[in-house]
Amino acid sequence: MIPLSWYLILSAALFSLGLFGVLARKNAVAILLGIELMLNAVNVNLVAFWRYGNLTSIAGQVFAIIVFAVSAAEVAVGLALVISVYRRRKTIVADEIDMLKW
Amino acid sequence: MTPLQLVFLLTAALTLVAAFRVVTTRNLVHAALWLVVTLFGVAVLFVLLNAPFLAVVQVVVYIGAIAVLFIFAIMLTRREMRDQGAQLNKGWWAAALVSLLTFGGLFWLTRSWDGFTRTAAPLPTGQDTLSALGKALVSPDAFVLPFEIASVLLLAALVGAVYVAYREK
Amino acid sequence: MTQADLYTLLPLIVLVIWACALLLVDLLIPRGRKGITAFLAALGLALTLGLTLAQVSAAGTAFQGMVVLDGFARFVNALLALTGLLGVGLAYGYVRRMGIERGEYYTLLLFSVAGMMLMAQAADLIVVFLALELLSIPLYILAAFARPKETSEEAGLKYFLLGAFATGFVVYGIALTFGATGTTSLSGIIAAASNGDAGLLLTIGAALILVGFGFKVAVVPFHMWTPDVYQGAPSAVTAFMAAGAKIAGFAALLRVFGLAFSSLSADLTAILWTLSALTMIVGNILAIAQTNIKRLLAYSSIAHAGYILMAFVPFGNAEVLPVSVAAGVFYLVAYTLTNFGAWAVVIALEKAEGRGLDLDDYAGLGRKYPALAAAMTVFMLSLTGVPPTLGLVGKFYLFRAVIAGGFYGLAVIGVLTSLISAYYYLRVVVIMYMREGEPERVSEPWLNLTWAASALAVVLISLVPAPLFAWASQAVFALF
Repeated sequence: MIPLSWYLILSAALFSLGLFGVLARKNAVAILLGIELMLNAVNVNLVAFWRYGNLTSIAGQVFAIIVFAVSAAEVAVGLALVISVYRRRKTIVADEIDMLKW
Repeated sequence: MTPLQLVFLLTAALTLVAAFRVVTTRNLVHAALWLVVTLFGVAVLFVLLNAPFLAVVQVVVYIGAIAVLFIFAIMLTRREMRDQGAQLNKGWWAAALVSLLTFGGLFWLTRSWDGFTRTAAPLPTGQDTLSALGKALVSPDAFVLPFEIASVLLLAALVGAVYVAYREK
Repeated sequence: MTQADLYTLLPLIVLVIWACALLLVDLLIPRGRKGITAFLAALGLALTLGLTLAQVSAAGTAFQGMVVLDGFARFVNALLALTGLLGVGLAYGYVRRMGIERGEYYTLLLFSVAGMMLMAQAADLIVVFLALELLSIPLYILAAFARPKETSEEAGLKYFLLGAFATGFVVYGIALTFGATGTTSLSGIIAAASNGDAGLLLTIGAALILVGFGFKVAVVPFHMWTPDVYQGAPSAVTAFMAAGAKIAGFAALLRVFGLAFSSLSADLTAILWTLSALTMIVGNILAIAQTNIKRLLAYSSIAHAGYILMAFVPFGNAEVLPVSVAAGVFYLVAYTLTNFGAWAVVIALEKAEGRGLDLDDYAGLGRKYPALAAAMTVFMLSLTGVPPTLGLVGKFYLFRAVIAGGFYGLAVIGVLTSLISAYYYLRVVVIMYMREGEPERVSEPWLNLTWAASALAVVLISLVPAPLFAWASQAVFALF
């Protein structure tokens, strides 16, 4: 059998990779890709906790489906914003979008 | 090592390598394609976790809609997406440090949790997870409220995305 | 699902249906007459406010403990409906002037208010998560609403990227909490935590949730996005977002940390103490260097998040917590009124193309428009915490509660940073009265009403604060 720990470690690694993508990438779309990795790590955790926890409750799977819906909403809004900025500026490199200073 | 464990390890390795490529590769089209591989790896994990329906949703919704949407967006803006030198910002080493620390912290802290090495109970025979899930999502005695809020959320996102991306004549 | 279930959420359900209907009705309203949509949106919010206040008799949980209706939820929901009304009032003339008058503005605003109200009523982490998204996603769009103006688009994109990132933390934390306790309901978490079988995993989950909420309410060190977004977003949106997102975020912090995670106070009190102190210090010091009024108010908003966070520091002390949270809620009311008033003045002086936003543009205001300058003076004094304003009363209650909890150092930091803040708030007043200039203001009925009524409320309520504080206390005490 596969112990729960394997899934948790995999999920933590996926989350950390996504975190790295968000913090280190220049391009807005690439940052969004990193966020998707983080949300997938969440889903691995949720389903694993469901499978290794109380099987009579379906909450873990329901939550995973909610995360699907939310990430779809986020991606739709995010890519719309990216395309809108790109249309005007011809660039979506996050570093170059600094008209507003720190 | 059981065959199941072997499948897990292979899938995990593939998923993590693909995820690593997603955050490091220079060409963004490739990054989106690596994301598809990662998502597929996660779908396999869902199968291993006896959640076949979620695996199907993962393939249909995540790969079929979300990842494809990414590829569309990248293609639409592709002049900027080609290899143009470093895709990582100057502080990438700090980012690497933060994410390594996060991983280390999560690993070290969850390891001291006593449920860490838990093994799965066998699925009770005769339990139909899929129909239980379907009922739970729309039953007033279970999760109908989150389900409805999610639908409102999708509507709001739809209105917003159309407004932002719409080009006025 | 029974009638009682629906009744618990009645204002929220009415608001969501109203928003959906408004989306359709808006199609029939010709361009250039979108003021009608604004009136309809305000009507919906007024109805929601009325229904919220009328829910006095109802109490308890609904939908299998997913949402709860209590005095606290009612108080916060009333405040949020008021926030929405003020947001519509500020937007009414502003969006027309800036050429971004579209019906979607009001629909999205209503959806966002619905998310905020749900946040105040959430008793389950799944609902908290969804409410957070429902309030945030319309705000991302509203921040970018002045597209194709570059600053606005960038503000929207930046807010979105940081917000989605924060969501990742919140939901990972919720997943770990679910794993630790086997449930997502707040009461279930309390039960599991008191059994002691949750352990370290619950602490990590709580910490990750705290990071995510820290981004949302702009607590240092998670505040970097705030100045850019507040400056780039249309001013009417900024005013709404500064108040609404803070109220909802702190309401959720109270429910999640004050109630569900109260067993973790030993670990978390020090963290909250540090975050609160850092936020007050960094927010106030960075505000000194600002010359743009929107950025100044952005840093001011960060600093005020620090003051409000003070209310949660004694969250392990069952005796002090109700008082300090009541003080925090009172401070939110004071901040909301002052914030909308100050932004109304900013909007009155803002010109197209982002002009009229430098502090120098306020020179001569005292001579040319005495009433407007007097109102702005009241708001600046209130943000500083000088009598006779609501800001002072709010700070007094907060510091008193924190001292009662034994956190003298934090109270000292609060007083000292308030003194620092006097420098940049009073500079605005000095510029208005001491320098010569020819400011041009915009005069619109709803805008004038907003700043005049806020200024009056800020002064008058500060003279008799006891009834409002009693109401806030009563709302909060019902929780414990």
